[in-house]
Amino acid sequence: METYLWITSVWGIYLTAVVFFGGMAWRIYQWATTPKSPIRLGMFPKPKTGAGRFSKMLTDTFIAPQSFKIEPTMWLFAFAFHIAALGAFVGHARLFREFPILPELLGEAGMNSFAAWSGSIAGIIMLVGVLYWIGRRTYGPFKNLSVPEDYLLLFLLLGVIAMGDHMRFVYGDIVHAATYREWFMSVMTFKPAFPAKLLESNVGISLGTHMLFTDLFLMYFPFSKLVHSIGAFSSNLVRSE
Amino acid sequence: MDSTQLTTLTGVIDKKMNRQLKQYMDICARCAICKDACHQYVGTGDFKYLPARRAELIRQIYKKYFTKTGEFVPALYEARDPDDNLLDELYDSTYACTGCRRCMYYCPFSIDTAWILSVAKAILIAAGRGNEMLGQLADAALFKGDNVEMFKDVIVSGFKDIEVEVQEITGNPNAQVPVDKQGADILYVALAGAHSIRPAAVIFEEAGANWTISMFEAANYGFFDGDIEKARLITKRFIDEAKRLGVKEIVVPECGHAYRVLELFYEAWSKEKMPFKVSHILEKVDEYIKDGSITVEKGLLTGTVTYHDPCQIGRNGGIFEQPRDIVQSLTDNFVDLTPNREQQWCCGGGGGIVAMEEFTETRLDRGTQHTPRSGYRCTSGHRPRGRSDAAQGQEAHARIDEPRDREPQRGTLRGAPFASSPDSDAQAAAYRTRLGSTARGRASNHKRISQ
Repeated sequence: METYLWITSVWGIYLTAVVFFGGMAWRIYQWATTPKSPIRLGMFPKPKTGAGRFSKMLTDTFIAPQSFKIEPTMWLFAFAFHIAALGAFVGHARLFREFPILPELLGEAGMNSFAAWSGSIAGIIMLVGVLYWIGRRTYGPFKNLSVPEDYLLLFLLLGVIAMGDHMRFVYGDIVHAATYREWFMSVMTFKPAFPAKLLESNVGISLGTHMLFTDLFLMYFPFSKLVHSIGAFSSNLVRSE
Repeated sequence: MDSTQLTTLTGVIDKKMNRQLKQYMDICARCAICKDACHQYVGTGDFKYLPARRAELIRQIYKKYFTKTGEFVPALYEARDPDDNLLDELYDSTYACTGCRRCMYYCPFSIDTAWILSVAKAILIAAGRGNEMLGQLADAALFKGDNVEMFKDVIVSGFKDIEVEVQEITGNPNAQVPVDKQGADILYVALAGAHSIRPAAVIFEEAGANWTISMFEAANYGFFDGDIEKARLITKRFIDEAKRLGVKEIVVPECGHAYRVLELFYEAWSKEKMPFKVSHILEKVDEYIKDGSITVEKGLLTGTVTYHDPCQIGRNGGIFEQPRDIVQSLTDNFVDLTPNREQQWCCGGGGGIVAMEEFTETRLDRGTQHTPRSGYRCTSGHRPRGRSDAAQGQEAHARIDEPRDREPQRGTLRGAPFASSPDSDAQAAAYRTRLGSTARGRASNHKRISQ
């Protein structure tokens, strides 16, 4: 198990970091160095001021009100998924350091229980979201339109979420953030080591698999359609050009 | 496939590549939220008309020849060569698109499918598969531009015939349709045909405008065909004419693409600043009513009156309120359609599709089924060619009348929420072109009749 953890949760992380950040930088460089269309592609009505355009771009990107109007169900699942993903991402910041203020307010046990229920909700919503998308791609025009890339990403995402949920629901009461932080910070400071608690319990398998999927997911991220996470800002800005 | 042709076709994409296109290629999540935005997909349920699919064909070529991942693992993206199979489907999906950009409005990433299809058109032309009819019409327009002296007598005599009608309508025996008038303030560029000239001439005459009419027409088949160089040269014909006559303003007629080409594209194409203002005829009429140049009589239109926003001057051109103001100066019984303004459905007749007979069925029988279902009838009189043309806004009114007695087609449509059962009528009514309260009653009336 230790070898598995070393591959996925130490060396895998270093490799992923290089590929992910390098890939994203390459993607942004490519976009930035391709000349803009000389024709304005915006549609009307459009805000008159730069600030108006910017705030419309933020609204379109984060709320997508037009998409809500035309397919509320899809919008609801997509919105819930993205919010939950954001919540989970913020929650993972505990791997770096404990949140400020909250632990003082809630106490250590309180903080762990807060993390447990908020993490559980996010984990469930994300799982439901991914299952919804997998389901949606199995029929009608969605099936015909789908390409292997779509399924690959959903499969990787399902792996990440399922194993994350496994750690949350099965080992949530046994291993807390402090243990994971010890491992994660050792990787971040280039002195990788695994706390005994991780190696002793079976949580190591879950962590290793969670990290395996995460590594693969993030390494593929910059080369997939998921670059909409950064591209949507500028393409939505073009809308009011 | 033939390597020369492959180089040619991928070269087209390379030449057309810009930041927007690259992003559109990279970020589409294939969520297909655009499926309910496209009147053709909703009307036909045909997969090739799904906006994301139309763009996907270009994406498949892009992935294979412009990305490393697509080059190494083409299967992952279904990346492929622009072979005959792909080009066959691309022809149908591209030339059928009316360029209404309603899919862009609803896309969470604002992907402009019509823009992607402008690249598709360039690819098809390079492959020798451009639309023959549009290509011929564009060439004819260019020929006319190069040999205008040859046509001048015929054109001017046509205008003289219309002049007589204008004199009858206005009761002014001195009314003119002036051609080639040096020092005119306005150059009106009409469409070919009296329907586009007579009403405008009457209005300019009544307003006492110092105007002249262009010897060329505003419709741009080069743009429809997708040949941007031809499109530029076709527009340049009357730009040069306007410069020669020293006008201050060019007014374009009902043709929405003409307005968009002139107002939004031409300067970028020609890399020169136009020394005159561009107006749509509806803006001009509204201006004349508001400044008192012309007076209109309220109450001549009977029944409830509405206005269908044409995509190219509405969502894509920014003219929303002026036409409504015109209609409301004519009647107190104005109701807005639902949806309206930037969300309005395409009438189905844009993008040059009316000139391509092979798409008549897509256009009329299935592509615009929402129009008859909405329970209103367009009574605008300019272009009696078909219902899908009727809503293009030329007279800025559509009267809500007795519903059509046409039995809607049923049963074969896939994915269309109103297609298959009597119940779906109600669904359709709830789903899309709902009218105001009066008209809603009529829509249910329509339902009874069709059952």
